[in-house]
Amino acid sequence: MASGCYGSGEEFEPFVDLSQIGGVVLKSVTRAPRLGNPTPRLVQTPAGLLNAIGLQNPGIDWYLEHDVKKFAKRPCKVVGSVAGFSVDDYAHVAQRLAARDEIHALEVNISCPNVAHEGETFACDPRLTSSVVKAVRGVTDKTIIVKLSPNVTDIASIALEAQHAGADALAVINTVRGMAIDVDTWKPRLGNVTGGLSGPAIRPIAVLAVYEVARAVTIPIVGQGGIETTADALEFILAGASAVCVGTANFTDPRIPVRIVEELRAYLEQRGIGSIREIVGKANVGFASPFQYEGDEG
Amino acid sequence: MSDSWRECPDAMPAVHEVVVSDATQLAPGVFLLGFHAPALVDVTRPGQFLMAIPPGGERCATALGIYEAQGERASILFFAVGPRTRELAELRAGDRFAVSAPLGNGFTFSNASDVAIVAGGVGIASVLLPAQALVQMGKRVRLFYGARTAELLVEKDRFAREGCEVICATDDGSFGHHGFVTQALAAAERKPDLILACGPSAMLRATAVVANELGIPAQLSLEETFACGVGGCWGCVVPVDRASAQAPGFPGEDAGGSGVVYARICKEGPVFWAHELRW
Repeated sequence: MASGCYGSGEEFEPFVDLSQIGGVVLKSVTRAPRLGNPTPRLVQTPAGLLNAIGLQNPGIDWYLEHDVKKFAKRPCKVVGSVAGFSVDDYAHVAQRLAARDEIHALEVNISCPNVAHEGETFACDPRLTSSVVKAVRGVTDKTIIVKLSPNVTDIASIALEAQHAGADALAVINTVRGMAIDVDTWKPRLGNVTGGLSGPAIRPIAVLAVYEVARAVTIPIVGQGGIETTADALEFILAGASAVCVGTANFTDPRIPVRIVEELRAYLEQRGIGSIREIVGKANVGFASPFQYEGDEG
Repeated sequence: MSDSWRECPDAMPAVHEVVVSDATQLAPGVFLLGFHAPALVDVTRPGQFLMAIPPGGERCATALGIYEAQGERASILFFAVGPRTRELAELRAGDRFAVSAPLGNGFTFSNASDVAIVAGGVGIASVLLPAQALVQMGKRVRLFYGARTAELLVEKDRFAREGCEVICATDDGSFGHHGFVTQALAAAERKPDLILACGPSAMLRATAVVANELGIPAQLSLEETFACGVGGCWGCVVPVDRASAQAPGFPGEDAGGSGVVYARICKEGPVFWAHELRW
């Protein structure tokens, strides 16, 4: 389940059997507590959701003391998400989060502004991406998944930098930048003015991103961006993703992810295919990377 | 809501697959959809809501107040104002859909004896259950009900039949007080000892002002755009006093936090004490 969509997983437990899915990526945590953006934080658009939550979180100290222990009982993998505004922030949070047994892996949310470099987003610059990933690599041996932003000209080059800097896998993609305007009040609909678009509208953008990244790197890709059905998940897999992640579709129907897992299994059985790995990248002629990955669905 | 709603424990919500039993248009654009849901009725508390999963599977689920919950039937009352509510308005008896419910905290009112329920427009959808419970408990219940125009004062006779005094207000003066429902509340001779309110944000803010001026505690059922509806995405928030019992866990001011924290309307709410809001 995608970061920011599933809280700590606890919120959805009454509705979903989490033992059926690969893992939950937690809401990003930062060094200092963050109140988050003023409202409105959400806007429904015809085929997607605009969000500008603002990384509301209690900060790493509080998180470690109060929240992390709740993850011990999750029947699926728990992936912590690290966000920050300087390379040092990322290293600090990553080290402390990774040290906890409850956390199986880390996702590095690099779609954050680098305060030291005039607010340029880490994920939009290959060198900033490299610095952050190297710093996180330096503080843990646990699996590091770097989450890429689609709001770039050449995602494959960013992906390559992340791999060279030590990423074990890549999450492709984060939200697409967007905004909406209220024609009655003449004001932006989001309190933050701009936000990130998720949901079906971004699926073609995400599938292309996976396709391009898969031709550049040799590490596994976790595909995400508007997956609502099994067919959607298969698109990502055929483009080169060896695992998929569902976020916004949980807001349509919390049963969707488990349904996709079951239908994917049935799809493989019907075709006599032993594992997802056999069809990863089959639509991607330039994709030729061998890999080892136990992902199913997260 | 079961008859022993007072003893109703904090029930785990669930996805309920339901069958529509009845679909009625109450006024232009206003619909009442009843469905068979005995398991849900047993655990619903006044003021709770549900997320209606779109039958077509194409959009985010919609948050709607639970209007009735009796016997084996629950219902939702809503205005068809967008693609999701329009889709629900098309459902007919025998159609199936699903809901995640019950959600949210609901109203609390055991200690009051004279309660004013303030409802504006679609806010009427969340206040029948508290009204019924209060009447059942033998409390005095006045419903102050506002709408743009007379035909939109849907179900006002229902509330009267349930044992409420109903005082109406319309923007255009076509029925009852000509003006806002909060003006009728402020002008009421005998002051209530508790106010429960549900309706558009502007009405809720005005209610909070009146309640504050009169020194009456008020519970407001807030509205906001929801995404997940269960507390997972932190989109539907409202700023509250850090010291409020409804504030989510967050570092205090000395730990770098602040005197104000954003609470989730779907999880810590939707009902909040007016005096704890910092909006």
